[in-house]
Amino acid sequence: MILATILVAAAVCEGCHGAGGNSTTAGTPSIAGQPEIFITNQLIYFREGLRPSPIMEPIVKGMKDPEVIALAKQFSKSPVKVLAEGKADAALAKRGNALIATMFCGQCHLPTLAGRDQVPRIAAQREDYLLATMQAYRDNTRTGADTTMAEVLRGMPDEDIKALAHVLARKK
Amino acid sequence: MSNAFQRTACAAALAALFGVAYAQAPAPAAPAAPAAAAPAAPPAWKQGQPDSMKSSPLAPHPARLTETPVADIPLAKFKVPAGFKVEVWASGMPGARMMARGDKGKVYVGTRAIGRVYEITDKGDKRESRILIDKLTQPNGVAFKDGSLYLVAIGKALRFDGIEDNPNVQPVDFTDKLNLGKEQHHQWKFIAFGPDGKLYVPFGAPCNICTPPEGYAQIRRYNKDGTGGEVIATGVRNSVGFDWDSKGDFWFTDNGRDWAGDAKFDDELNHLTKVGQNFGFPYCHSSGTPDPEIKKDKPCDNVTKPVASMGEHSAALGMRFYKGDMFPADYKGAMFIARHGSWNRTKLFGYDVVVARASADGKSAKVTPFFTGTIDAKENKFFARPTDVMLMPDGSLLVSDELNGAIYRISYAGKAKAAPAKDGKTKA
Ligand code: HEC
Ligand code: HEC
Repeated sequence: MILATILVAAAVCEGCHGAGGNSTTAGTPSIAGQPEIFITNQLIYFREGLRPSPIMEPIVKGMKDPEVIALAKQFSKSPVKVLAEGKADAALAKRGNALIATMFCGQCHLPTLAGRDQVPRIAAQREDYLLATMQAYRDNTRTGADTTMAEVLRGMPDEDIKALAHVLARKK
Repeated sequence: MSNAFQRTACAAALAALFGVAYAQAPAPAAPAAPAAAAPAAPPAWKQGQPDSMKSSPLAPHPARLTETPVADIPLAKFKVPAGFKVEVWASGMPGARMMARGDKGKVYVGTRAIGRVYEITDKGDKRESRILIDKLTQPNGVAFKDGSLYLVAIGKALRFDGIEDNPNVQPVDFTDKLNLGKEQHHQWKFIAFGPDGKLYVPFGAPCNICTPPEGYAQIRRYNKDGTGGEVIATGVRNSVGFDWDSKGDFWFTDNGRDWAGDAKFDDELNHLTKVGQNFGFPYCHSSGTPDPEIKKDKPCDNVTKPVASMGEHSAALGMRFYKGDMFPADYKGAMFIARHGSWNRTKLFGYDVVVARASADGKSAKVTPFFTGTIDAKENKFFARPTDVMLMPDGSLLVSDELNGAIYRISYAGKAKAAPAKDGKTKA
């Protein structure tokens, strides 16, 4: 019974987040292969109104913890696809890779940038989403219970955020 | 599984299908020449990390924000000394941390990440909890005084008057009285009322290690209404627990700095003997070790040394003196201290409750284990995070476990069973 309803719910998620959670919808992140704790936490932040999103809030409203966990488990196991098209722009790639190295993104997101526990996968994420969400962290409009990224990106110019989004979207 | 959920989810998906939510956004345009490197500061918890540890994967452990079913609480693994018994007293409260008890027996529980405060009603054979308030930023600090619940979150202070009689009472906001400041890091509070009737509030250093800005790395006390703020201790990095002994002296735990290796620095148990004492941060740690980076001449001069080490990175948090009658005589006047457990250490340490027995002169204390069995040392895994302790009127001890969102009751069975009576007093 629970299993059947979760399948329904997951299909609903895929309507926006793409088949298996690999998103082809503008502005909507891929959730395939994200760490289970990361997905769980974000769904709870949406539900509790701690991470503002007029789209996700009504979807998780009233959702019970076991459903949240089951969905997180399912999408965390889903294989990740790199969907970004076109070769990386050489100048942007150089800039982005330099920032990733000098700002130690890999220390928290792991050297593969595949994430762990509460820290998300940032490799192979949608470029437009990465851009928007990093700007939101910098501008303190993506809130939640975790202030780590607001501090990491504090004062970063748009050009640097663009370079990061550009290379991250093209990493496996 | 709620049908309401399926309905809203389907409606949203339909909205998406019909293009209500999105238009195809153009790919971001390639910018011209890249700008200079962004000099982003590391997050506060990472400050002071030496180059030698730059590839360290250590990071604060994630909080569990979902309910842990009672059956999944590893109660059978927990250990307490012979004659004591531990049981699950309340559960289903993700992130349960600091506890305060109302005059009529309701227990209030603060949290951090999930932003809620719970209220527990004791129904004798079971406990029921409700979410009193949510959507707050780390409402960790709770205290009860003269019929009112006091609650301090990051950047917010609320008071619920007559809450035990009127569950729907609207809170009074007294944030402007406390001058809480703009910093976030280490500003989740432990709060308590002293025997002087004043509200004690710590202001942690907003960093791992730094020269703290004005007004931080100190403990203050206020009148009940938030007026008359006064600094009572300085050089305190981050205290998340304190209590008063039977003489009325103030004792507190303090968390030592990180990123100095597994063996440095100690968390501390401190004893304030004079208002205004300096406890060393950021220049002098433990029992007199200068900081490797933030230096000054004679860093440990006029610094009050800790009474006891609570162990490196153990995260000693909530503490209470044992003033009850249920436990054996040698627990009377001893301190119970919850150690939340290490993150900035390769080998796990803490994750327990210890007893600290002070010497007669109050200058030192002996620390012994009390509530253990929460770590698998071989796997380097933990399965409980004791965060606060609280004495019940019958002399039993409550221990909150943030990881499992539960509160345990530890009682002593070596004596005739002392059941709590309805009025909260212990039956003879
Ligand atoms: C109507 C479209 C839509 C549906 C349906 C939807 N989502 Fe989302 N989801 C979004 C958008 C858009 C965001 C980005 C929100 C933002 O950043 O403001 C998002 C964000 C998320 C995030 C955060 C990801 C990240 O990288 O930060 C998770 C996790 C998530 N959704 C899971 C789900 C799950 C699970 C379901 C099904 C129960 C679901 N979503 C259904 C549109 C949708
Ligand atoms: C100190 C640890 C740390 C460092 C260093 C760090 N991150 Fe993060 N990052 C996190 C955490 C934790 C989160 C999840 C925060 C939350 O819940 O909002 C996160 C989230 C993100 C997200 C949101 C992804 C999503 O799907 O919602 C992006 C993008 C991101 N980080 C990019 C970066 C980049 C790029 C760097 C290097 C410039 C970096 N991070 C460095 C810890 C870190």
